[in-house]
Amino acid sequence: MDLTYRDEQRMLLDSLDRLLASEWALDSRRARARDPSLDRAAWQGLADLGVLALLVPEAHGGFQETPATLMLAQITLGRHLVQGPLIPSAVMATALLRDSGHAAVCQSCLPAMASGERVLAVAWLEGDQRHEVVARAVTARPDAQGWEISGTKKLVWAGAQADQIIVSAALGDEQALFLVPAGARGVAVQDYPTLDGQHCATLVLDRVGLPAGALVARGAAARKALESALDHGLVALCAHAAGATQRLVEITTGYLEVREQFGRSLARFQVLQHALADMLMHQEMALSLAHVAARGLGDTDPSERRRLLSAAKVGISAAARFVAEQAVQLHGGMGMTDELEASDYVRSLAMFEFLLGDSDWHLSRFQDHAVC
Amino acid sequence: MDLNWSKADLAFRDEVRQFVADRLPADIRNKCRRHQRLEKDDYVRWHRILAAHGWGAPNWPVAYGGTGWSPLQRLIFEVESFKGGAPRLLPLGLNMIGPVLIRYGSEAQKARFLSRIITLEDWWCQGYSEPQAGSDLASLKTRAERAANGYVVHGQKTWTTLAQHANWMFCLARTDPDARPQAGISMLLIDLRQPGVTVRPIRTLDGGTEVNEVWLDGVHVPEDQRVGEENQGWTYAKYLLGHERTGIAGLGHCHRELALLKDMAARTCADGRSVASNARLNDRIARVEIDMLGLEMLLLRVAAGSDAHPGPQSSILKVLGSEIQQRLARLQFEVMGLESWPYDPAWRFAEADFFGPGPDGAAAAGASYLDMRKTTIYGGSTQIQKGIIAKMLMGVA
Repeated sequence: MDLTYRDEQRMLLDSLDRLLASEWALDSRRARARDPSLDRAAWQGLADLGVLALLVPEAHGGFQETPATLMLAQITLGRHLVQGPLIPSAVMATALLRDSGHAAVCQSCLPAMASGERVLAVAWLEGDQRHEVVARAVTARPDAQGWEISGTKKLVWAGAQADQIIVSAALGDEQALFLVPAGARGVAVQDYPTLDGQHCATLVLDRVGLPAGALVARGAAARKALESALDHGLVALCAHAAGATQRLVEITTGYLEVREQFGRSLARFQVLQHALADMLMHQEMALSLAHVAARGLGDTDPSERRRLLSAAKVGISAAARFVAEQAVQLHGGMGMTDELEASDYVRSLAMFEFLLGDSDWHLSRFQDHAVC
Repeated sequence: MDLNWSKADLAFRDEVRQFVADRLPADIRNKCRRHQRLEKDDYVRWHRILAAHGWGAPNWPVAYGGTGWSPLQRLIFEVESFKGGAPRLLPLGLNMIGPVLIRYGSEAQKARFLSRIITLEDWWCQGYSEPQAGSDLASLKTRAERAANGYVVHGQKTWTTLAQHANWMFCLARTDPDARPQAGISMLLIDLRQPGVTVRPIRTLDGGTEVNEVWLDGVHVPEDQRVGEENQGWTYAKYLLGHERTGIAGLGHCHRELALLKDMAARTCADGRSVASNARLNDRIARVEIDMLGLEMLLLRVAAGSDAHPGPQSSILKVLGSEIQQRLARLQFEVMGLESWPYDPAWRFAEADFFGPGPDGAAAAGASYLDMRKTTIYGGSTQIQKGIIAKMLMGVA
């Protein structure tokens, strides 16, 4: 094990931090969050730094980076609260296509995704699902032109910002993944703002006709590709939350130093110093568990991978919640407003626990894969 | 000691329960149960329904239009009305300025203001906190200068709850800039419908605008709108904060939210199963319900000993009650989980006919969780309350 940063990692993080500090400051970030249409210029800025190409194989114009680099980049992105389609497209859809084994789809999509030209989303939830990944309500069947697919997906992360959406569907007795152009006839995308300043969509497919090549994977290959998307998404999300946690501790510390009551700065009160110390300890646990998640992603044993990913999600959720709640408390009334930057981090960290599996579910999965 | 409810207690409980079931307008009940914003008219209607029945001021003496209820009866009323889906009675008039006027106000002030509080003809807001005077309230800078027949007030107040509806403010202002901080403050009753008053809403974490900033720029206050003596405002403010000892825990609110929580869990499905079948979640719900049993008995013990030497009970009740309220909101968020992700404040804060794409209550659950973080901050933060408790414990108050 070597926990030091490689030179390329250091350079990537430094340039990323510089770009994000200027391009993703509070006002521009909030303006982007309000606007349901994707800020293509900002997206291109991320592409130019290589952020969208981290997981793309070299053969398709990417960097073919390790889980560790993915994690480190997402910690920095989380510090600046860069959201939008980054995880759904550059992490989840990229990993899904890469691991689908479908060379033609990879060739047509991955270079365009790495360069920032094309944005993808993944739609796997339907009905009352929160954790299940079995498609039933969305069904596909072969027809003369290729496939016809119908049904409704919910909570599609950045679905309305995507050019194409990978949709899970029941294909007879099998599970299958299809690549659906957002503009195809019969596709309706309803965008919703989210509690954490993002966007998600309901996707309604009404007898959408797809060419034969739109089938990305079926059967065991489809399950494996979707699990890869969820695993990569989980590591990215965990690292993002750990980075946001770290930044929120800094913001809160800064506020306590500036705010004065009873004739001295709040940072001089021991009870608040101890609260900050607790926040910092939770932050370090979150950052460390983000490393655990990245280690799990690289593990070839599926059971160990699931165990470590779930461990990270449970632990970082608890840390993120603690830090978010303490940040509000220590900001006092100002912490309840939307007027300070802390608000964006609090809402993001509050929602984090429920994305890609809540704590109860991950706790159960951790126990299911316990080592004796 | 008899630890059972008496026949009279139970009869009173049933009477309140029946009254709320019969008389609370259904649209108001639905808004409360959906965590939707109540409009001014919603509060006014409910207050007047109670006033017409003689129940408009549960904690006031009969002589001033109150019910004359015992602390136990007030508690029963609070719990039963919340359980029945009724809105809270606005505390600003009934629990805050009303008791201060009854104790310290002039006869003219009592005659002028008290009955209008019960019917919500006057809507009061609190002018205490300032941008630089939060936990350290005594450092407030709003100043009231002597003028012909009264005062002219300059300053800025903040966290002013529902000031957008208010026509009166009870305000702490500095009348002696040379005295030590607590000694130079007076309590003034300010008519907000006059030039120089500006109200600006503050957008909160949940996208709501229930609190405001209020600027007072050369606002005139006649002499007869000062409460009690000049420079004695701090005494009245402290009386006000310590007066309502049992209402501060929010027990009625807790009962309503617990019932809502269980109902949400029972009627929401995730991954093909009822959320109520999640044993881990049920453990957490049980733990908060157990703590509510303790809180309720603590309240009853405090209420029974209300003539005893005032101790840190109201601080203890505030800390414990606010944390339970937060846990209940948190558990509702956990029940809805991922379904709370889509959220637009318009679904909650307008007269909406769409409440979001998720199950009933999903969009409001996450926002309520965020909103309820305020309970450990307002009315003296948990840190301030624990300081008070420790001081009383060590006999240095």
